[in-house]
Amino acid sequence: MYKLSDRCSALRDEAVSKRKYMKKYCAQRNVYFSLGGALAAQNEQGIYSVVSSAVSNVLNKFTPVIIPGEIITGFNFGDGKFDDFYIPQNTPEDIEIMKENNISNDDIEKFFSIDKFYRDELFLYGYNLGDESTAGLTECEIQASEEWSALGRVISSNHTVLGYEQVVKLGFEGILNKIIEFKKKNGNNDLYSGAEQICLEALKMGEKYADLAQKLLDSQDENYDANDLKSIIEVCSNVPRYPARSFKEAVQSLWFAHVINTWEDIINANSIGRLDQILYPYYRHDIEKGIITKEEAFEIICCLWIKLYRDYDVQQSCVGGDNVDGECCVNDLSYMMLDATEALDFIRCMSVRFSKNTPKEFIKRALEVVGHVQKGVPFFFNDDVMIPALINAGIAPDDACNYTQIGCVETVIPGKSNPHAVTGETNFLKAIEYVLCRGKSMRHPDYSPGKDTGDLDNLDSFESFLNAVKVQIDNIMDLTCSQVKKLFERCISPKPYKSILTEGCLESGRDFNCKGALYDYYQIMIGGVPNLADSLCVINKFVYKQKKYSLSQLKSILESDFPDERIRMEFINKSEKFGNNSEEPDSLAREIIDYACDRLEELSKKYGMNFHAQPFTYLWMIDHGHHSAASPDGRKCGDPIAYSVSPMQGRDFNGLTAIMNSISSLPTKRTPGTTSAIVEVDPKLFCDKNIDALTDILVASGKKGLSNVQFNTVDAEMLIDAQKYPEKYNNLAVRVSGFSQRFNLLNKELQNHIIGRTKHSCL
Amino acid sequence: MSVNGIVSNISRCSLHDGSGIRTVIYFKGCNLKCKWCHNPETHSFSPDIMYNPNLCICCGNCISVCSKCHSAGETSAVFTRDLCNKCMRCADVCPTRALSVCGDEMTSREVFDIILNDSHYYAESGGGITLSGGECLLQVDFAVDILKLCSQRGINTAIESAMCVPWENISAVIPYTDCFFADIKHHDSSIHRNYTGVGNELILDNIYKLSLVHNCITLRIPLIPGINDSNEDMKKFGEIINGLGKGIGCVELLKYNYLAGSKYESLDKEYISYSDYTQTNEHLLELKEAMQNSVKIKVVCEI
Repeated sequence: MYKLSDRCSALRDEAVSKRKYMKKYCAQRNVYFSLGGALAAQNEQGIYSVVSSAVSNVLNKFTPVIIPGEIITGFNFGDGKFDDFYIPQNTPEDIEIMKENNISNDDIEKFFSIDKFYRDELFLYGYNLGDESTAGLTECEIQASEEWSALGRVISSNHTVLGYEQVVKLGFEGILNKIIEFKKKNGNNDLYSGAEQICLEALKMGEKYADLAQKLLDSQDENYDANDLKSIIEVCSNVPRYPARSFKEAVQSLWFAHVINTWEDIINANSIGRLDQILYPYYRHDIEKGIITKEEAFEIICCLWIKLYRDYDVQQSCVGGDNVDGECCVNDLSYMMLDATEALDFIRCMSVRFSKNTPKEFIKRALEVVGHVQKGVPFFFNDDVMIPALINAGIAPDDACNYTQIGCVETVIPGKSNPHAVTGETNFLKAIEYVLCRGKSMRHPDYSPGKDTGDLDNLDSFESFLNAVKVQIDNIMDLTCSQVKKLFERCISPKPYKSILTEGCLESGRDFNCKGALYDYYQIMIGGVPNLADSLCVINKFVYKQKKYSLSQLKSILESDFPDERIRMEFINKSEKFGNNSEEPDSLAREIIDYACDRLEELSKKYGMNFHAQPFTYLWMIDHGHHSAASPDGRKCGDPIAYSVSPMQGRDFNGLTAIMNSISSLPTKRTPGTTSAIVEVDPKLFCDKNIDALTDILVASGKKGLSNVQFNTVDAEMLIDAQKYPEKYNNLAVRVSGFSQRFNLLNKELQNHIIGRTKHSCL
Repeated sequence: MSVNGIVSNISRCSLHDGSGIRTVIYFKGCNLKCKWCHNPETHSFSPDIMYNPNLCICCGNCISVCSKCHSAGETSAVFTRDLCNKCMRCADVCPTRALSVCGDEMTSREVFDIILNDSHYYAESGGGITLSGGECLLQVDFAVDILKLCSQRGINTAIESAMCVPWENISAVIPYTDCFFADIKHHDSSIHRNYTGVGNELILDNIYKLSLVHNCITLRIPLIPGINDSNEDMKKFGEIINGLGKGIGCVELLKYNYLAGSKYESLDKEYISYSDYTQTNEHLLELKEAMQNSVKIKVVCEI
C-alpha cells in the first residue's frame, strides 16, 4: 500500500475544497462551444460542421491553466454554478464569472446575441433535433411516458467509453493520418471534414500547456516548482500530438483525450474504461528501464484520480478482468489503482471485474477498499456472466472480453460501441395496475396506456392473471422500444469526436450516432421486477389460494391506498418476498425477466435495432414510485419501488447469502446491460476477521450467476444521525444507484429510501 | 427416513461457530438453566409465543381469535401468557409479526434443504453447518440424521453443546462431526449448580471422554461479569483443561453478551443482567493472558 505524497495531498485538498484554480475557466466550454456552432450555422454550414466547429472552437480558444504542484495537467470544464448543465445567463453575476474566466467582452457580447438555440440546447447535448418532445408519439406512448411505465430518452449522449488508447498509441497526428486515409478511400463527407477539423485543433492541445508552462518557468512564478513545469513542458510538447513515450505521457495523453470528449457533450457519464490494461505496457516499460519507480507511478495515478474528482462522479474506470483465453489480466496497476482510491478517500467511480480465475487476494483487496473508504466504491462485475451475456448479444468474444462500464453500470465495448445507455426505461410494476384497471392507469385514471386484458372475473386462475401481466409487459416493452425508435429517428445528434475514437465510424463514414459504431445497441432498463414478483406472490396466495379477497376487492384496496393497515401488514408479512432465497418470488422474478428478454429479441427484429436488457433503475426508483399506485406487495401509493433487482427495501431478512442467491438466480446471462443490485452490508463484515468470508461470498455468488453488485457499508443509525446533523457528516457517502454520492447532497426522500434498505450482518 | 425435531431458528451466513461461512441450526430445548443465557427462546422443548408490543398496531385480530389471553391495551394489545394454551392462532392472524411462534417442528430433510441453499458458500470458504441450541444433543436422532446427510455431501459439520447429556448421545454423533464446541460455564461445581441448575461433573466427564476420542474440540467459556471472569478463575479453568485429553485444540473466551434483554421481554421471562460492569478490552486481554499462562493450547478471545 502506497502513501499519498505531499503533492497529492495538497492537490486533493484543492480539488475537494473547491478550489481556487478549478473555479477558473469553468465557463469557457459552454461559451466557445455555442459561439463556434453559431458561427458555422451563420455561414450556412450543415449540422455536422456546426458541431465540429463548436468542438474545435473550444479547443482553439480555451485558456489553459496549470495548478501549482500538478504534473498531469488540463481541466474538464464545468464546476460550481457553471456545472455541466448550466446555461450561462445574461445577468451581471454570470457575466462577471465569464470575465473572470478570461472570456473577452467581445465573445460575451456575441454569446448573448446568438440564437437561443445555440446557447441552450446545442451546448448541452450537441445538436438534438426534436429531442424529447412528444411529436410523432401515439397517445398511448405519451401517457406511458408521462407516468414512466414505458419511456424513451435521448440522453444517451455523454455516456461513452471511447478508444482513448488510440490517442495514447498513435497521437492525434497518427489519427489524422487515419482520417485522411479513410477519406481518400471512401471519398470526403461531413464526418471526415469534421473529424479532421477537430483533430487539427486537438493536436495543439498539449502545446498550449507546454507554452504556458514555459511562460511560468520564465517568469519564475514562486507558486510553481521549476521541475514540475519542466516535466509538463517535456510531456505536453509530445502528447497528445505524438504517441506517448512513457507512463506519464500515456496518462497525460489519455487525460487530454478524455477532456475533449467531455467538451463535446459535457462531462456527466463519459467514462474512461480499463485503465490498468491501457496503461500497463507503458508502466512496465518505464519500470523495466528504470525510468520511474513504483512510487512515482502511484503518484501519477493519484494525479489522474484528482483530475477526475467531482461531487457527482460517474466518469467510471475499471480494473481487473479476464482476456479471451480466460486468463486473469490483473496487474500491478490494478492494485495501485485500488490503493489510490483508498488513499485519496473521496468518491472515485470505479469498478472491478472479477471471475472464477481472479486471485482471491485481488478481490479481497478490492473489498478492503470498499470497507476502508466506506463510499460504496469500487463495485463489482462478474466476467463469468457478463462475457457470455455479451457474446449471446452478438459481440465478438475478443471484444466481449474487453467490456467495461459507463457511469453507473451500463456495459460498453470501449472504442467500439454506442450503447445508447439509459435510452429506454420501463416500470413493470405498472402491469398490475393495467391488469386490474383493464388498461387504465390506477395512479392516473385519465390515462390508459395499458391493454384491456378483460373482465377481472375471467381471470379465474393465477396462471390467467400472470398471463394478463405478461400481456401488459409485452405492451410496456413495445411502447418503450417504439418510442426509442421514433426518438432516434427524429434526433440528429452528430458526435464527430466520438466518431473519431469509435471503431466503425471512420471505416464506414457514418457518425457515432448514425449507427456508425461497430456495435450499435440500445439499453432498455427493466424496473419494478422485485415489487412485481412480490405482488404476484400476494395475489397468488390471498386471491387464488386462500380466496380471502377477490381481484375487485384487491383493486379497491389498492385504489384507496390500503385504508386498513391490517391488510397491508398481512400482505407484507404473510407472503414470500424476493431477496430471501424463497422459491416462489425468486422464480417469478426469473420468469418475468426471461419473458422480457424474449420480447426484446422479437422487438429487436421488429424495429431493426439491437435492444439489450438491463434490469437497472438508476435512481429513478423514486420517480417510478411517484407514478405508481399502491401495490399488492404492501407498498403505499407514491412510495419508491425497489432499486434495480435489489429486494424491496426492508423486505429481505434471511441474510447475506440468501439475498446473493436470489439475485444470482436471475437470468443474468441474458442481460448484457447488467443486472444491477446494491446490497447493504454491516461495516463489520469488512474487518480483517471477516473479509475472507466476504470474499468467498462474492466469489461463490459469481459462480452462481451474479452479474453486478455494489456494497453500501454505512449503518442506518449513522444515516439517521446524518439527517439530523448534516454538518457532522460532510464526507459521508453512500451508494445511491449506479453511483455513490455524498449523503448530504441527496434529497430527504432518497435518503429515506437508503435508510430503509436492510443492513446485512453475519451472526 | 426423515427424523422430526424442533428448531428455534436457522441462522444462515454465520461466521462465528466454526470455519468459513456456516449455517447454524438452533435446536429448541435445553436442560441447563443458565441465568445469563442469551437464547431464552431455546429453553423449552415446545413452540413458544413471542410477543413484541413495539410491532403491534392494535388491529384486534388476536383478540378476535382468542379473547382469553389477549385484550386491548393503550398503545398495544395485552398478552396474558399465564392463560395461554398455545393454540398459536393469534400468531397466525397477527399481520405484523408482533405475535410470532418460536419453534418449528421440522424433519431433518427440511433442515437439510435449507442447508443446501448455501452449499456453494461452504465449498468456497471451507464452511459448513453447526448444530447449536438449546442443547442439540438432547434431540440426538434428529441431530445424527442432519449430520449424516451433511457428511454424505462433504459438508463440514460442527456441534456446539453444553455436554450435559448421556455419553451415548455424544458418541452417537462423533462419527459424523468434524468439530466440537464444548462449553464449560464454571470450574466450581457448586457455583455451576447455583447458576445453571446442575453441577459440572457430567459435563467435565463427557468432555474428558470426548477429548480422548475426537481430535477437534474447542472449549468455550462464556465470561460472565463477576461470576467467572477473574484471573483466579482462569487459573482454575486452566487446571481442568490441563487434565483433559489431546483432542482439545483451543480455548475460546467469549465476551459477555449484553443484548439479550429484549428476547426475555418477548417471552415474559425475567432477565437478569450480569453487566455490573463492562468487560473492557484491557480486562479481556488480561484474562486471555492469564488463561494462556495456565494452559499449553491456544487461547482465543475476540474483542
